Amino acid sequence: MFFSQIKRNAAKNRKNNGLFFGSLVIAVIAFYTLLSMDKQDVMRFLKTIESDAVSRLLKLVPVVYVVSLFFVFFLVYFSCHYQLNERKRELGLYLMLGMKRSRLFAMLMSETLLNSLISLVIGIPAALLLTEVISLTTVKVAGLGIIGHEVTWSFAAVIETAAGFVMVQLIAMVILSIRFARMEPAGLLRPDAKETQEMAVGIRSGLSFAAGCILLAAAYILGVTRLESFDMIIIMLILIFGAFGTFLLYRGAGAVIGRRIRKRGPERSGLYTFTGRQIQENVLCQYKTLAVSSLLLLIALSCVSYGIGTVVSSQAATAKTTDFSVQDKEDEAEDEAKDETEDLAGAKAKGDTLEVLNSRECKKYISAYYPMYLGMADAEAHEVSVAGLKKAASTLKDVKDKDIQDNVVEYMDDSGGYEYFIALSGYNHILEAAGKEKLSLREGEMAFYTSMKEYANRIDIYRGALKNGAYIKVDGKRYKLLEEVYYDNVVADRQITLEKAFIVPDELYQEITADREPFCYNVLLKEELIRKDGFMQTLEKVSGIFRENGLVYESYLSGIGRRLFYTVAGSYITIYLGILFMIIANTSLALKYLMQQQANRKRYRTLLMLGADPGEICRSSAKQIYLFSGLVLAVSSVSSVFAIWSLFNSILRLPEGVSPGNVLILTGAAFAVFVATQMIYVMIIEKTGRKDIRSLKIG
Amino acid sequence: MNHNKVLEVENIIKIYGKGENRTEALKGISFDVLEGEFLGIMGPSGSGKTTLLNSIATMIKVTSGKIKLKGEDISSFKGKQLSSYRGKKIGYLFQEFELLDNLTARENIILPLSLHGMTGREAGEMLKKLSWHFGIEEELDKFPSQMSGGQKQRVAAARALIGNPSIVLADEPTGALDSRNSKVLMNRLSVINEDEGRTIVMVTHDANAASYCSRILFIQDGRLFHELRRNVGTETTEEFYERIVTVLAQLGGGSADVL
Repeated sequence: MFFSQIKRNAAKNRKNNGLFFGSLVIAVIAFYTLLSMDKQDVMRFLKTIESDAVSRLLKLVPVVYVVSLFFVFFLVYFSCHYQLNERKRELGLYLMLGMKRSRLFAMLMSETLLNSLISLVIGIPAALLLTEVISLTTVKVAGLGIIGHEVTWSFAAVIETAAGFVMVQLIAMVILSIRFARMEPAGLLRPDAKETQEMAVGIRSGLSFAAGCILLAAAYILGVTRLESFDMIIIMLILIFGAFGTFLLYRGAGAVIGRRIRKRGPERSGLYTFTGRQIQENVLCQYKTLAVSSLLLLIALSCVSYGIGTVVSSQAATAKTTDFSVQDKEDEAEDEAKDETEDLAGAKAKGDTLEVLNSRECKKYISAYYPMYLGMADAEAHEVSVAGLKKAASTLKDVKDKDIQDNVVEYMDDSGGYEYFIALSGYNHILEAAGKEKLSLREGEMAFYTSMKEYANRIDIYRGALKNGAYIKVDGKRYKLLEEVYYDNVVADRQITLEKAFIVPDELYQEITADREPFCYNVLLKEELIRKDGFMQTLEKVSGIFRENGLVYESYLSGIGRRLFYTVAGSYITIYLGILFMIIANTSLALKYLMQQQANRKRYRTLLMLGADPGEICRSSAKQIYLFSGLVLAVSSVSSVFAIWSLFNSILRLPEGVSPGNVLILTGAAFAVFVATQMIYVMIIEKTGRKDIRSLKIG
Repeated sequence: MNHNKVLEVENIIKIYGKGENRTEALKGISFDVLEGEFLGIMGPSGSGKTTLLNSIATMIKVTSGKIKLKGEDISSFKGKQLSSYRGKKIGYLFQEFELLDNLTARENIILPLSLHGMTGREAGEMLKKLSWHFGIEEELDKFPSQMSGGQKQRVAAARALIGNPSIVLADEPTGALDSRNSKVLMNRLSVINEDEGRTIVMVTHDANAASYCSRILFIQDGRLFHELRRNVGTETTEEFYERIVTVLAQLGGGSADVL
C-alpha cells in the first residue's frame, strides 16, 4: 500500500512537472556524454596520436562534472521546493491523519529516488544513442571516413552519472523534506501567507536601472577594447561590471515598466494595465532569477561560440598542404625542433628517397612529389640585411599591441644574417595544393613567409610592415617585399616552424643558400585512392612503405589528429556546457514563473467575475510569459554580442585565412537553436497557464 | 422612487449533487427588486443566501426558474453575453474585497470599464466623482498593500459602481471590516442609493449593516421566510435595527411559527 502510494505520487509529480522531469533527463544525457568521453572511439583514436592533449582534456572532465553537478543541484532544489509547495496541503493532511514524520520523510525520499531512477532509465539509453551519433558526426566532420567504428558504452560512466545524479537529488530532497516535515500540520494546511510585494517604485529603482545600464556599457566597452591585454584586473572588472550591471538592470527594470504603465495605461483599454502590472510584479519579485538566467544564457552562448571558434580555427590551422614530407636522415626525425639548424645544414640526400618514391609500389599511391627547397642563407658568403623590414615594422603607427610590435622588431636582430629562404617553385606547389593562386615574383621582388598564422597579432604587425614599404638587402642589392603575408604550411605537419622566411625565385635561392639539397620531398597521394579507400587507410599503407625503406617522414596524420582533437574537444565544450547552462537557465526561469503563477489563480478568478473574457485572460497570460522570457533573452543577447565580439578580439583571434563570416553564421545558428529551445519552454508554460485559466470556476 | 422592476426572480431552485448527495440549496424563491431599492438578504449560515446572490451574479447556474434583469433572462446567457453581463450590467462587492493587489486603486477601479474597451482617460470623470464620494482620492495611486481594509473596501465599492450597472450585488461587504469602517461604507452606499437611485442587493449577517437597507428578505432553508420593509421617512436606522434584531432572534430559534 505504501509502495503503491509512492508510485502513484511519483507518477503524479512527473505528470505535473513534465518540464522539470524533461530537464532532468537532458541532464542525465549530458552527464553521461561527458563522463563516457574517454571510451568513445574518436577519443580512443586520438589517444594514439595526441595522447598528451587527450589526457589533459580527460583530467579536466571530473572538474567540469563536479561544477555542473553543483549547478544542477540548485536546479533540483528549486524544482523540488516548487513541487513540495504545491503539495503542502496534501502533506499537511497526511500528518493530520496521523502519518509519522519519519514515514512522511521516507515517502518523499522514495518518490525522489523512484523518479531519479526513471530519469536514468530514460536518460542513459538516450545518452548512448547520442554519444554514438556524436562519434559518427565528429568522424565525418573531420573527414576521416569510419575509423574502425564500434559501438561502445562505458560502465564506469553509467555508474558515475547515476551516482552523481541521484546524490544531487537526494541531498536537495533531504534538505527540503526535513524543512517540510518539521512544519506543523496547521502551517502546512493553511494557504500560503501572501507575499506582499511592494509594487510602489521609487527613485531608487530608477537609479538602479540607470546604474545597471552604465555598468553593462562599461563592461561591454572594456571587453571589446581592453580584454586583449589579458590583464587580470581588466578581466575581473569586466566580470564584476557585467554581473552587477545585469543584477541592477533587472532590479530597476520594474520601475521602468511601472512608469510606462502609468504613462500608457490611461490610453489603453482591455487588460493592458493588468498585463503590464503582472510583468512588472514578476520582474520585481524575480529579478534575481532573471539576472541569473540571463547570465547563464550568456555563459551558454559564449561557450558555444568559443567551441565553434575553436573548431573552425583548428580546421584552418591544420589545413592540408601536402600529405607527406619525406627526409632521408634517420636521426633527424625525433627531435626536429631542438636542433633544426643543424639538421638543415647537414641534410644530405642519399638518393634513396627518390628511388623509393619512384618505385613501382609507391607509384600506385602517389600522384606527385616535388622537392621543397628551404634553407638558410650562407652568411659567410653573402650578406643579408633585414634592416629595411625592421625599420618598416618599428616605424609602424596605430598598432593595437605595442608589446608584440617590440617583440617582433627585437626578434629581427637575432638571426645575424642567417635568414631562411624558400624556393618559389616548391612554395607554388603548396599554394596549388591549398587551392590558392600561384605566386609570381618580378625582378627585385621577394615575398614574406611566416608559419605563425595562429598568432594573428604578429601577422598584423608583419602585414603592416610590408605595406609600410619593407625591403631586405642581399649583398647590397635591395629587394622589395610583396605586401601580402604568405603562411601556408610548407611541410606535412610541424617539421619546421618559421617566424620569418623569404620566398625567392629558384635561381636566387641556389645562389644565396649553402644548401644544395632539398629540405624534404613533399608527396601528394592519389585523390581517387583516397576517395576509394579513405584517407586514413591510404596514409597508413604509404607510411608502411616508407617505414620499410627506412625513410624519415612526417605525414598529415598528426594534423588530422590535432584537427580532430580540437573538433571533438570544441564540440564537447559546445554541446555539454552550452546545453547544461541553457537548460538550467530555462528551467529555473520557468519554475520561478510557474511559482509566481500560483498566486495568479485568484486574480484570474476576480477578472472573470468582473466580466473579462477567458480568451482575453489567456492572451494576457501568454503575453506575460513571452515578455518575461523575452526580457531575459534580450539582455543576454545584447551581452552575448559583446561577449563574443570581445572573445574573437582577444582570446580567440581567428587565424589567418579564416573568414569571420563562417563563425558568425554558425554562432547565429547556435543562437537560433537557443531561442527555439526557450520557445519550447515558453510554449509549455503558456499551455499550462491556458489550461489552468480554462479550468477556473467562479463561485 | 420609480417602480420599475430591475430584477425578477421567479421560483428558482438550485440543487447540488445527485442521488443520495442531493442537496436543495434553494427551494423555489421568488421576489422582485425595484429600481432604486436597497435590498438586504439575511439568514443563518447555510440558508442559501449566498447561493441566491451567486445565481443572480451568474456565478452559478440555477437548476430551474428564471432570473430576469430588466426583462432579459440571464440564465440563458453564454460566452460573450455572459462576460458582458458580468462587466456591464452588474457590479459586485465581495467580502474579501478581491482587489488585484498588483494594480493601483485607480487601475482597479477602472478595470471593469477597460475590460469593455473604455480607456482610463474616458473613465476619468466617473472615477473622479466616485473617488470623491467614497473619500479615496488620496489613495488612487496606492497599491492595495498600502491601504487599510476600509479603504480597500471603498475602492472595491467604487469599482462595483463605475460601470453604472443596473444592479450592485454585495456579498457580506462589511464582513471583513471593523465597526467604524463598516459604518463609513454603509453610509456611503446608502447615500449613493438615495441620491442617485442606484439599486443594491446585499447579503449580510450584520444587523447593523442591514439597517441601512430599505427592505430585507429573510431566508431559511432555501425558502423566503420573512420580509421587513423600512418605513422610509418615518423610521430611523436605529429603529429599523431593533426590528431586524427581533426577527433575527426568532430566526435563530429556528421556529417557523413565531410570526
